[in-house]
Amino acid sequence: MALVRFVTPLLVVVCLCSAQADHGWKAPTAAAPLRVVEASATETPWSTAPACSNAFVSHRLDFIHGARLREINTYISNGAGVAVNDLDNDGRLDLVFASVDGRSAILWNEGGLRFTPEALDARFTRGAATVDVDGDGWIDVVFTHRGLEPPSFWRNLGSEVGARRFERHTLPGVDRYAYAMAWGDVDGDGALDLVTGSYGVELKQHGILRPESELKAGVFLYLQKGSAWEAHRLDERAETLSIALLDLTGDGQPEIWAANDFALEDKVWTQQDGRWVEIRPFDRTSHSTMAIEWGDIDNSGRLALFTTDMNPYDTSPRNLARWLPVIHHLEEYRARGDVQIMANVLLLPNGDGRWRNQAVARGVDASGWSWAAKYGDLDQDGYLDLYVVNGMIAADLFGHLPNGELVEENQAYRNRRDGRFAAAPHWQLNSSASGRGMVMADLDDDGDLDIVVNNLRSFAQIFENQLCTGESIQVDLAWSPSLNRHAIGAQATLYTDRGVYRRDVRASGGYLSTDPVRLHFGFPEGTQLYALEVRWPDGVLSTLKEPTPNRRIHIFREEQAIPEGAMK
Amino acid sequence: MTHTTLSTSPWWTNMQENLPLLRLLHPKQYASAVGISLAIGLTLSWIVLAAGVAPLWAATAMTLLLLLPAGFFKWRDDYRRYGRTVMFLSVLLTAQGLHTIEHLIQWTQYHILYWTMRQSNGLLSPANAEWVHFVWNWLVLLVVLLLMFGGMRNVWMWLLLAVAAFHAVEHTYTFIRYQIILRELTAMDILNVTAQGLPGIVGRDGWLARSEWTRGTWICSIPGLTTAVRLDVHFWWNAIEMTLLILAGHVALRRRMQGEPLP
Repeated sequence: MALVRFVTPLLVVVCLCSAQADHGWKAPTAAAPLRVVEASATETPWSTAPACSNAFVSHRLDFIHGARLREINTYISNGAGVAVNDLDNDGRLDLVFASVDGRSAILWNEGGLRFTPEALDARFTRGAATVDVDGDGWIDVVFTHRGLEPPSFWRNLGSEVGARRFERHTLPGVDRYAYAMAWGDVDGDGALDLVTGSYGVELKQHGILRPESELKAGVFLYLQKGSAWEAHRLDERAETLSIALLDLTGDGQPEIWAANDFALEDKVWTQQDGRWVEIRPFDRTSHSTMAIEWGDIDNSGRLALFTTDMNPYDTSPRNLARWLPVIHHLEEYRARGDVQIMANVLLLPNGDGRWRNQAVARGVDASGWSWAAKYGDLDQDGYLDLYVVNGMIAADLFGHLPNGELVEENQAYRNRRDGRFAAAPHWQLNSSASGRGMVMADLDDDGDLDIVVNNLRSFAQIFENQLCTGESIQVDLAWSPSLNRHAIGAQATLYTDRGVYRRDVRASGGYLSTDPVRLHFGFPEGTQLYALEVRWPDGVLSTLKEPTPNRRIHIFREEQAIPEGAMK
Repeated sequence: MTHTTLSTSPWWTNMQENLPLLRLLHPKQYASAVGISLAIGLTLSWIVLAAGVAPLWAATAMTLLLLLPAGFFKWRDDYRRYGRTVMFLSVLLTAQGLHTIEHLIQWTQYHILYWTMRQSNGLLSPANAEWVHFVWNWLVLLVVLLLMFGGMRNVWMWLLLAVAAFHAVEHTYTFIRYQIILRELTAMDILNVTAQGLPGIVGRDGWLARSEWTRGTWICSIPGLTTAVRLDVHFWWNAIEMTLLILAGHVALRRRMQGEPLP
C-alpha cells in the first residue's frame, strides 16, 4: 500500500523563512545557510480501525518489576523506564522495559495490542534507550543500571541474522556510573553521542560516600569517535534523573540540560568556541526535577519546557496528612540566587533569552509525586495534551501508610487550545499503579497515541486510546547516508489550514524512558494539510507537499545535500 | 520628660498638628515606663534564650507581658481623655504595629536570610502560627467593628473592614484545615509533625490555585494571587490592613481635631 511521492525542494522556502523567523524553535542561522535536499516518501494507511469508547482503556502487560522485593525503600523506589521503537523493522512499535529487581524484557508487538515477552539478561536496570547506536539501520537497546555499573549496550543483530536477536556488547570508553542518559548528535558530526548523569544518593548507598570526589560520578558527555567514545566530564556533582538535549538558545545547536534531584540545581551547558559552558537560562526550575518534557503547546512556534516535581494535586486535609511527614523532611532548599521551587515548572521563552515559569497560570504546577511527563495530542485536536504518572513506594519515607505506599492517580490534562490545561478525568487515565517510566506511541497502529507505563510493583500497562476524535499523520525519518539513521534531532513542521504543528525526533528527556522516533501529528477532522517540512539534524530541509491524512509517512533522505544556490 | 521636651519643639508640635495619630500613640508620661519595661524584657529574654530555658516565642511573650502594664495605664488615659472609641483605636494601632513587626521579621528571615519557610516563623508565631493568627485576626475584625459602631466611619474604615473580614475568613479556612489535618495525623499515630503554615485561599498551592473552577484560568495569571508563598501573602494582608488603619485613624482624628464629631 505504499504510495510513492517526490518532494519538491523549492517549495515554500519563502514561507518557511518567514514562518520560522520569530520562532524560538530553530531559525536558520547565518552559520548554517538554508539548504534543501530531495527525499522520497512512502505512505501507509493504518492497519486497524480504532475502537471507540470516548476514553482510554487499560490493558495489563506481561511485565512487572519491583515485586520481588520484600520491601521497597529509597531509592529503588525510583523505579525504571520503558522505551518504544520498532526493533525488528516490521513497522510495529515494540516495547523495552527496564527492571530494578530482575531481568529487563522486550515485548514484541505482534499487532492488535498482543505482545510476546522476551527476557533480556540485562539485570537491575534503570533507564532504557532504543537507539541505533551503530547506525546499521536496526535499533539497539541501551540500559543504565542500579548500583555501580556503567550503561550496557545490547546490539541488535537483525541486520546479520535477520531475526529478533540481541547481543551484549560494550561501548568502549563508556564506563562511568549512569542513572539517566540522553542520545543525540551534539557535535554535529553525524554520529550519535551520549550524555549520562549519575545519582549521588544511590552511589552513597553503594558505598561511595563522597560521589563528587569519585572520578566515575557526575555528568559525562561521550562523543562517538569511530568505534570509541571520548568522555568529557561536565560536572562532578550529579543527582541526575533526566537529561535533555535541545536547543534552548535558538542558535541551532543543542544544549545539554541535566535535571537534578534534591537541592542540587539543574544544570545547562551550551557550546561556545568548542567548549561546553554552563549557562542559567531559567528563572525557575523544579526543586527535585524528575523529568523533562518539551513541546509547542499553543502552536505558536515557542517551546514550552515542562518538568515534574513533588507537589500534591489533591490538597484535601486527608491527603495532605499523608504527605506531611515527608514534606517535613523535603523542605525547599533556600539560598541567594537559587531558582528552585518544589512544584512542576512550565517554562516559556520570555523574548530576552530567559525562560519564565507559567505552570500555575497554565494549570499544571501540581500533579502529585510525579515522575514521567509527556506531551502528546491525545484527542487529536491539534494541541498537545499532557500526561503525568504518579505515586511513591518507600517504606522508609511512607512508613505511616499501608505498604509504605503513597497511592496517587496519574494525571491527564487536556489542552484548552490556548496552551492552558484542564484536568481530563473523563479520559480515564487515572491509574494508581505507581507509574515511573512512561511513553506515548501508537501501539495498535490505528493512528492515535496510546500510552505505555512501567509501574513499580504492579504490572506494566497500556492505555489504549479509544477517544476516536480527530485525524493524524505519523512520520518516520530515514537518513541512510548518516550514522544517525533515524535522524534524531530532526524537526518536522506540518503546515495546515488550522495552524502549524511542530514535533522533533528525540532520544532524550522524559524519565528513564525513550520515545519512538515515529512522530505523531494530530489535527481536527477535515483539516487541510499544506505541507510537511523536515529539518534534518544537519540543518537541511525537505518538504512534502499535501500529505494525505491518516497515513504513516516514511521519508527517506538518500541524496547528499544540495547547496541553496544549486536549487532547481 | 521626653514628651515635655518634644512637645516644646515647634517641629514636633507641627507634626502632631498634622499627624494626630502621633499625638495619640505617644506614650507621654509613660515613656520611661515603656523604655524600662522594654529593656528589662529584652534583657530577660536574652538570658532565658541564652540559658535555653525557654523558646523564642515564650521570651517574646514575656517581653510583651512586661510592656502590658505601661500600655494599660496609657490606654486608660486615652479613654479618660478621648473616650472609648479613640482608646480602641490606640490599642489596635499599637497591637497591629507590633504584629507588623512580627511579619517584617518573617519576611526578613525568608527573603534576606534565606531561611526555609518553616524556619521563617517570626518571634511569636512559633508558639502556634495557626492559633496566633486565627485569634489575632478575629480580634482585629472585632475591634474594627467596635470602632465603626463607635462612629469612626470613613471610606478607609470600610475598606479596612472588608480586608480584615477577608483576612479573618482566610485564617478561619486555614485554621479549620489545620484542625482536620491534626486529627488525620493523630489517627495515623503521627504526633511529631506540624500542620501549621499550610496554604490558605490565596497564594501558592492555595484554594484558588487548585480549585477546579479557577485552576489554569485568567485568575491564576494575576501576579501573586496564586503564586505568592503564604508568608508573603500574609505580609501583604497585614501591610494593607495597617495602611488602611492608619489612614482611617488619621481621617477620624483630624475630623475630631477640627471640632467635627466622629460621624
